[in-house]
Amino acid sequence: MDLTPTAEERAFRADVRRWLGANVPRDDLKTLDERKAWHRKLYEAGYVGMLWPTEYGGWGRAPMQQAIVQDEMARLSAPPPINGLGIGFIGPTIIVHGTDWQKQRYLRKMLTAEEIWCQLYSEPNAGSDLASLKTRAEDQGDHFLVNGQKIWTSSGPIADWGILLARTDPKVAKHKGISCLLLNMRQPGVEVRPLKQITGSSLFSEVFMTDARAEPRDLIGGLNRGWEIAQTTLGWERGANSLGRVTRYAIAFNQLVRATKELRRGGKPLLEDPAVRAKLGKAYAELEVQRYAALRVLSALQNSDSPGAASSITKLSYTEFEKRYFELALEILGPYGQLISAREEFEEIDTSSGEPGTWATAFLWSRAGTIYSGSSEIQKNIIGERVLGLPKEVRADRLKA
Amino acid sequence: MDFAFTSDQQLLRNSARAFLDEHCKPATVRLLWDDPRGESDTMWKEIAQLGWLGLSLPEAYGGSGLGMVETALLLEEMGRAAYPGPYWPTALAATAIELGGSEVHKKRWLAAFATGDARATIAFLDAELDWRPEAARTRAEKTGKGWALSGQKRFVPWAHVADVLLVPAQGPDGLTLFMVDPSAAGLTLEPVPVMDLATRLVNVTLDKTPVAADAVLGAPGHGGPLLAALLRRGAVGAAAEMLGAARRCLDMAVGYAKVREQFGQPIGSFQAIRHKCAEMLLEVENSHSAVYYAAWALDAKAEDAELAASVAKAYVGDAARKVCGEAIQVHGGIGFTWEYDLHLYMKRAKALEPMYGDGDYHRELILRRVAA
Repeated sequence: MDLTPTAEERAFRADVRRWLGANVPRDDLKTLDERKAWHRKLYEAGYVGMLWPTEYGGWGRAPMQQAIVQDEMARLSAPPPINGLGIGFIGPTIIVHGTDWQKQRYLRKMLTAEEIWCQLYSEPNAGSDLASLKTRAEDQGDHFLVNGQKIWTSSGPIADWGILLARTDPKVAKHKGISCLLLNMRQPGVEVRPLKQITGSSLFSEVFMTDARAEPRDLIGGLNRGWEIAQTTLGWERGANSLGRVTRYAIAFNQLVRATKELRRGGKPLLEDPAVRAKLGKAYAELEVQRYAALRVLSALQNSDSPGAASSITKLSYTEFEKRYFELALEILGPYGQLISAREEFEEIDTSSGEPGTWATAFLWSRAGTIYSGSSEIQKNIIGERVLGLPKEVRADRLKA
Repeated sequence: MDFAFTSDQQLLRNSARAFLDEHCKPATVRLLWDDPRGESDTMWKEIAQLGWLGLSLPEAYGGSGLGMVETALLLEEMGRAAYPGPYWPTALAATAIELGGSEVHKKRWLAAFATGDARATIAFLDAELDWRPEAARTRAEKTGKGWALSGQKRFVPWAHVADVLLVPAQGPDGLTLFMVDPSAAGLTLEPVPVMDLATRLVNVTLDKTPVAADAVLGAPGHGGPLLAALLRRGAVGAAAEMLGAARRCLDMAVGYAKVREQFGQPIGSFQAIRHKCAEMLLEVENSHSAVYYAAWALDAKAEDAELAASVAKAYVGDAARKVCGEAIQVHGGIGFTWEYDLHLYMKRAKALEPMYGDGDYHRELILRRVAA
């Protein structure tokens, strides 16, 4: 056990810091072209596709190095690459399960953000129970005919391609009749409607597919194998954001402390109020524990222990912490915490959501974390069954099957 | 960067668990509840032979020269067994003598600790129960022969079996840490039974108790930093022991949830129970990260070692209380009975929660470091 960064890690971090210092855009990226150009620049510097094998255009780096890049980007509030979902798990899905043709056709353009990708999994009636999805892909011989509706699609309006889970066999048990297809988003049968979320912005969309077309060559991993493919790639994140996330929390903590020096109660700075101090001390202890846990995850990945179902513990831990953390911030800041446009420095923070924001935005965004990518309840089911070995619950849909 | 234990550390943990499973069964712990000393001399000598008592002492004094990570591994296993005895108070006092003692002190005490021939403890708390070292109210006056100490020390762990008491007191030069002979004149020991019957706490009264002129650790008036360092180390050790107790409670709860049936099914199949167990595991795993990060930071003299010690104590105190409490809830009625062993571990975690600085004390220390 030795938690000192190695000489290589320190040198790598110094390189990353130097490069970002010279290259992070000074102004907000406004247009799609500007965002694609920044993504491409990051890729060419070796900071996108870091875990991808070099034979597919990636950089063959270690999870720790990827985490260092994200950490340094968080330090500077650098804008994220535009094709994050593609790089993070759609590309790896194609690498693991795709055909040679698919790899040739899609991977390079994904890395360079020439083509933007989105995920078409959740449906209005298939959230936690994803396997009950209803979107159908009917085999017409020379193509699949796709009809249905997806929801919670990030990057919907700018996406060129989507990775789709659709029902190809309605007669078998629900998780056995699903296939994974790559869908061209630029076709008449695909309509994207932005969905306004509680923050007031629209980072997600609904996607309606009406007699849309998917090509047989775009089937991933064989007919009706979609469910297992989705299961194997959801945990591909590999600690990428583990350190950067905590750095963002720490930056926000410093801003919160600054705010408690400026805000006064009873003629004294709020920071001198013992009740406020106790709450801040507790929050910081939790924040530090998130950092230690992140190092532990990265160490396990380095020793090539796949975190497997234990990654559910990480996800549950930080998303639940994030909710408590921003609840506390708003409690301390009072009405200042609820401003939706910042006037003072302490009122604006990096929400890591891709939209600039205030404490209110961060507070609202924190509600999303315990819902997306498997809600906290789903994570607890996974932990209970696969880590603790508790018996499966008796479920109505299993009784029927 | 490597968070995994080395094979030697794994081996130490395995042998500690094997020994405690065999020699420190719940039945053994229960037998010692009624013992006036509360510990087994046989077990003490056995753990001395295993090298535990000299684990972190320098090799020159019969120790193994290992660090806080190894000590934390032992303490975690002791928490898991609700081990009754003065291991941690003695090991911590040994560190105090190692850090602040003269060559004569070290020769006199360190080898005796390593062989199991002596026990010791530190009397951190005064009557005001203020963990800040500078808050000590016990007075030290200079006499012709040395010092005379007067004051009240509260909740001193295992003082009734100690061969030497380390007592902080305010002297003419300021805060000083003294080595006091428990049989000296004017010193009285009053055991105060607490709910963990395997933890012994003792109130110590000193009334002009004589102390030799050279029985001082560090320079007179400079006891503050030494005591702060001991408190930090004590806090990390206590966190490790609470982690062990919490993990035992979690294991018992999960085991019970797999076999206990209600409504025709194991209760672990119900989300209400399963989700509780998942939350308990989350707290235990985060506590593991906090304890071993802090232990490593102390060994490595990392710049955030002081912060990490406070984080570990504050976090694990809350986490262990929650995990042990929820374990009782998962068990239902049987978890509330005297016969069932769950309360041994729950009470151990609870007994350590206020010691070596409670959560409020450490949260304030944390904030002082990060919100200057």
